[in-house]
Amino acid sequence: MSGYSFDTDTAKERLRSELGRAGRTLRFVLQDNAAKAGFAVIVAFGFLGVFGPYLAPYHPIEDTLQQGGSMMRLQSPGGKALLGTTSFGKDVLSQFLAGARPTLIVGLFGGVGTGVLGFLVGLTSGYFGGRVDEFLMRLTDLTFALPFLPMALVILSFVTPSVWLITAVLVVFLWKMPARVIRSEVMTVKERTFVKSARARGAGHTRTMFLHVAPNVLGIGFLYTAYAVGWSIVAGASLAFLGFGDPTTTSWGRMLQQVFRSGAIRTAWWWVLPPAVGIGAVTTGVFLVGRAFEEIVNPDLQTDKE
Amino acid sequence: MIAALLTLIAVSIIFATLRLLPADPFSALVASGSLTPAEVEQIRAMYGLDDPIYVQYFRYIQNLFTFEFGISLTQQRPVGEIIIPALVNTLVLLLPALVVTAIISSLAGMYAGWNRGSWFEQSSIVVTTVFRATPIFVTGIFLLIIFSYGLGWLPAFGMRSSLANPQGYVETYVSVDFLKHYILPFTATVLFYSGDFLMLARNSVVERKGSEFLMLHRAKGLSEMEQLGRAGRNSLLPLVTYFALRTGMLFQGVITLEVVFAWPGIGRALVQAILNQDYPTVQAAVFIMALAVIVMNLTADLAYAKLDPTVEAGDV
Repeated sequence: MSGYSFDTDTAKERLRSELGRAGRTLRFVLQDNAAKAGFAVIVAFGFLGVFGPYLAPYHPIEDTLQQGGSMMRLQSPGGKALLGTTSFGKDVLSQFLAGARPTLIVGLFGGVGTGVLGFLVGLTSGYFGGRVDEFLMRLTDLTFALPFLPMALVILSFVTPSVWLITAVLVVFLWKMPARVIRSEVMTVKERTFVKSARARGAGHTRTMFLHVAPNVLGIGFLYTAYAVGWSIVAGASLAFLGFGDPTTTSWGRMLQQVFRSGAIRTAWWWVLPPAVGIGAVTTGVFLVGRAFEEIVNPDLQTDKE
Repeated sequence: MIAALLTLIAVSIIFATLRLLPADPFSALVASGSLTPAEVEQIRAMYGLDDPIYVQYFRYIQNLFTFEFGISLTQQRPVGEIIIPALVNTLVLLLPALVVTAIISSLAGMYAGWNRGSWFEQSSIVVTTVFRATPIFVTGIFLLIIFSYGLGWLPAFGMRSSLANPQGYVETYVSVDFLKHYILPFTATVLFYSGDFLMLARNSVVERKGSEFLMLHRAKGLSEMEQLGRAGRNSLLPLVTYFALRTGMLFQGVITLEVVFAWPGIGRALVQAILNQDYPTVQAAVFIMALAVIVMNLTADLAYAKLDPTVEAGDV
């Protein structure tokens, strides 16, 4: 097999070996107790994100709970509403279950989008160097200079926010973080002998970049994608809390905004705790797993463990 | 030079973004019937909104760099009068919090890194990761419902009691009433930023732990703590630059926190201005936030060049 063209067999083989490596890494990460707990939270959250809306006993927005002919306002937990009701007579448990999905979409797609875009920019910039690098890095400097949350607020104030739009805005502002780190990693990898011999054997730029350089920086790429998922959830929840979330869906950030705006936060702890604990637990879970992963990826921390 | 150019491009983008807004607040007034179209024309001319776009642009750039932010559209007073006190309020809250958390968390992080694998290291990392990962407004909400609404120990709203009417900075910031309002947002900020400093300090001590200069110190017979002191001093570089970067990002980082505690700072002013479509105030607030990032990034680079003998100042 010549191996000079990007044929499917090579790609499949590479993919299989990469997946095997990912599996081993994951097992290694999960030896850390905190990471184990974090991983469990993430799995539970993923489950809620997919199935939550079907588990909800009532419709989170349309169903108004009635009791004896009057609306159940700010009912504490028990009876018909297991986690109590909001001041508009909606079921908190249903809102909590349904609210996981928008949070998951923004976090997952915002994070993965940020990771992929940042990875590609960093790879291109570091691999080619020179003018390409100069241009892309000035672009990242510029996005660093534009304050993220204020700009996002301004943009979302004149377009109707939707979950997908918010995700796009996050990617546009967050890609710079992985891009810089990937770039500096790529710059050290591309000087190594195996990259040069690949080039000498006649491998094209695309092939060298994706088959020889990229696998060596994939670890860092995944690490920053994981962190980007965390940042996206935080940013999405912050926007929703400030009143710039998707008005048609119930997200955890929006639940907090409603309980805060309505002033019910003074008494209705049952309305505050589910979304607050939910957001806190998910982001913490992501960061705990990310941190345990970082201990493996960052070679400087691999010194004597005695 | 690059910083100046970046600032210029950044403010141009901010200008362009704000001009994309479809309506100005006056059209809404016509729609609601409180002003006639003729009156609106007059007001628009007064604010210079009828000039060609490039005239508006140059006036905007010129005004920004002389810190003349124009007149607020909704409050009929100079934007500076709204923004500057808000900026001071934010700084009074954030700078002490950042300094406190930088010192305490860095020291704790160095100790954790030195005793790698210890109970202290494991638990301090998990605890600070929890606060670092949880959005700052969620931490704020927890503090609120526990200490203000649950236990009733501390006030929940604003910077001073509604009856207090202090004059001047000293009277405003030095009082028991202010302190009571200060504790909760201060605590939330300290907790939120503790994680990054702790991890940075810990990682950089871990990286140095096996190095030769420390073996020399051990051979000289220095105690564990004295050795940690030497390792810690060598770990200061990333901490100092990180501190500068964090300071630049502060204003945008705590917008939600200011809203939760109704702290009359620049972040809350920005959110209100956006909701009221008060563009001059929005422009000024976003500009100050962008400027803070750019200036502090430059400071971080300079500090790096100054502190690290292997980097020349000319490299920046």
